Amino acid sequence: MATSRREILKFGLLGLVLLAGNSDDASAQSRTRFVFANSSAFDSLDPHTVFDQGRAAVRFNLYDGLLRFVDNPPKLIPWLAESYTVSDDGKTYTFRLRADATFHDGTPVTSADVAYSIERILALGKGPASFYLDLIKPGSTQTPDPHTVVFNLATPSAIFLTTVPNILVVNSALVRSKEKDGDWGAGWLARNEAGTGSYVLRRYEPAVGWSGQRFVKHFAGWAGQPIDQIEFRTVQETNTRVLGLMRGDFDGADGLTYEQIQRLRQSPNVQVLEAESMRVFLLALNNSKPLMNDVHFRRALAYAFDYDGFIKNIMKDSVTRNPGPNPVTIWGTPPGLKGYSFDLAKAREELAQVKQPLRRITINALAGYSESEQAAVLFQSSLRQIGIEADIDVTPWAVVASRFAKAETQADVTPVWRSTFYVDPNNWVGEGFGTRYHGTRTMSYYSNPVFDQLLDEALLTSDQERRRELYEKMSQIVSDDAAGIFIYNTRWFGPYSTRVSGIRFSPGTNGNDIRWATMTR
Amino acid sequence: MNVASMVANRLVWFMPTVLGLLAVVFVLARIVPTDPAVLAVGENATTEQVQEARERLAVDRPLPEQFVEYLRQVAQGDLGTSFYTQQPIVDDLVERLPATLELTIIGVLAAGLIGVPLGVVSGLSRNSWLDHLLRLASVLFIGVAPFWIAMQLQLLFSMRLGWLPLSGRIDDFAPETVTGFLTIDALIAGDLPNFLSALRHIVLPTLTLALPGAAVIMRFTRTSVIEAVASPSVAYQTAMGLPRRVIVWKYVLRLALNSTVTQLGLVFGISLTGAVVIEAVFEWPGLGTYAVRSILYSDYNAVMGVTLCVGILFALSNLLVDLLQMAVDPRGAP
Repeated sequence: MATSRREILKFGLLGLVLLAGNSDDASAQSRTRFVFANSSAFDSLDPHTVFDQGRAAVRFNLYDGLLRFVDNPPKLIPWLAESYTVSDDGKTYTFRLRADATFHDGTPVTSADVAYSIERILALGKGPASFYLDLIKPGSTQTPDPHTVVFNLATPSAIFLTTVPNILVVNSALVRSKEKDGDWGAGWLARNEAGTGSYVLRRYEPAVGWSGQRFVKHFAGWAGQPIDQIEFRTVQETNTRVLGLMRGDFDGADGLTYEQIQRLRQSPNVQVLEAESMRVFLLALNNSKPLMNDVHFRRALAYAFDYDGFIKNIMKDSVTRNPGPNPVTIWGTPPGLKGYSFDLAKAREELAQVKQPLRRITINALAGYSESEQAAVLFQSSLRQIGIEADIDVTPWAVVASRFAKAETQADVTPVWRSTFYVDPNNWVGEGFGTRYHGTRTMSYYSNPVFDQLLDEALLTSDQERRRELYEKMSQIVSDDAAGIFIYNTRWFGPYSTRVSGIRFSPGTNGNDIRWATMTR
Repeated sequence: MNVASMVANRLVWFMPTVLGLLAVVFVLARIVPTDPAVLAVGENATTEQVQEARERLAVDRPLPEQFVEYLRQVAQGDLGTSFYTQQPIVDDLVERLPATLELTIIGVLAAGLIGVPLGVVSGLSRNSWLDHLLRLASVLFIGVAPFWIAMQLQLLFSMRLGWLPLSGRIDDFAPETVTGFLTIDALIAGDLPNFLSALRHIVLPTLTLALPGAAVIMRFTRTSVIEAVASPSVAYQTAMGLPRRVIVWKYVLRLALNSTVTQLGLVFGISLTGAVVIEAVFEWPGLGTYAVRSILYSDYNAVMGVTLCVGILFALSNLLVDLLQMAVDPRGAP
């Protein structure tokens, strides 16, 4: 039977109508679904290797730790553990696990799972491993009963407790069954999950992102009207994240500039949450290189940065000046620490005291991060005014991180952020400037025996007041020696759909802990 | 030369081409001032761990030695492991290739469907206002950056009119696939909602990819049509009193098709590389977004894997074009 032109036209029009129509029927029928446009790619789901803030959603939604940080200022609350004790010598930490916690497959959580998890972290040597490699010897963690786990530290550590939220617990029986050639299940866990978290992995496509279904039996219970399904989609193109939020395709997004946040404020579909965070933007100086190892030269550099101009003109007054190595929102900074101000006369005075011949310096800005690149250009311009020539090298984070690994390769100056990996001044001033962290978490290659002595004591003592005193002294030393140039503390801006409420921001989780949020259907 | 010997000839040249491609990419990847060992073990690793990884990955050996080792692995079908995804590169490529192929093939088909008729119309109405308009439009689409076209399409069809999705490949996560082409898989499964969803998502990326390609094809088709119309054979058919429609369909188009086929092959190759930008804008989960991430994270093995994959596809598309040309016009067989 021949098909008439009229019929073809009819079917064509029907097709167009269907094509242009809303095909979200399936999602409309389902319960609440939260879609987050994530700037970083979820190329792995392994909670013991994924450690950057950009992929934090995996860790805080699919997995749980013994303790968890919530709110701002951050509070450490019991999570998989209901209580803990610390021995007098500060070397033994005993955690009592909740009896009602289960993994997503229904298996009860036991101390053996916790022990397996820390052993796995140590064996893989990635992500949070650097916190524990010198502190916990493989095989030293004890499990006296199914609900008690004992960490025996090699030395007392005042910061151990704040790093405990990073020991995310995996289902040891399940992961063991997936181990291949002694890989600790790394191949399998990169694409699957074995956690207790508030959401159960529903779908995962490395090139797209992941989706989770609410774990109704989660030990922490549920209050109000929690979100039923969460989706974290990788959307690397900033413009697409912005337009998607405005259009209502996404319910949240990250990695946006202040200008884009301001643009989003105009959208009726978007609300912008904000909070003072704990992420210091600094010009990391390589203190070990010739000329950079001269305190007068470093001070000259510190006086040559236009802090107010940068914050006012480039950051549009969206951030707070941070004069020292620690965020202004945490203890450990001496009261009244003023830091440096933009003063080219003082910079010249300091420069006059430099004994070594001047040379060109290199500023290594982070590609794709406009603040880093703009800070580099601004600094280059003011340095020229005091007779210092600087070359700007713009490279991706991977290159910068690689260069940080060795004193010989780290650039003279690197405009970069120091994020919250655990909430303690040691995360910033301690790791940033202690000799013991050279080659691992330092960004300065600064070496000062007096500083190191204070740091050693601060890591050993559990006396909070003494620790405060020690970290304040360390901050003062770093400031006096201009071992780094500290610019601002980041303000967190969370653009969310107006349908979303209850986002609970904490510097450690960056608002990615979705279990507290609700949204209208 | 018959088909078999032509294919054999192409394959003989294929190996040194791929080898050369790998050599260039390998050297370029190693020039980047990044330590692969640090990337492999993570930024928090100790100096000892980095050194151990350096030895394990053989990046502490001389460059020629590293290259030979890499070639040995490639010959065994092992492109290495991605530093970032921690998966074999082959698996990563297999997972993402269908998305790129679906976009590129539909894009090239769309380019042909748009470009050929417009080229014919333009060629047949040479120097008319329509011809001028079409030529102007073709210059515009060839000259304008694809990402700009992509953003304009997004602003118009997604933001203003709300007709089509802004990004992604399907509304939810893709169902289990057979071919990896979501449109075809949904049809096979008789899944109309997913078919429509996949179709709606592919329209804008395809259009972005197709418009510059269509412009190129249109211009070449136009030139071929003008040449064909002026050819003695067409003049003869006209003198014989054959209807214009028959002359155009039977003779002009046939003569013009040869260069159009060549252009389609080239457009396919250009589209494969152009997909990198388009995939990034539309968050299309294919080789392009994988390549961008791999470059940003200095994931050497992945970058080389993508290059090898695209290089092979390009060579195969050229082979296909040669075969098609032989079919269209056996006189011009290589």
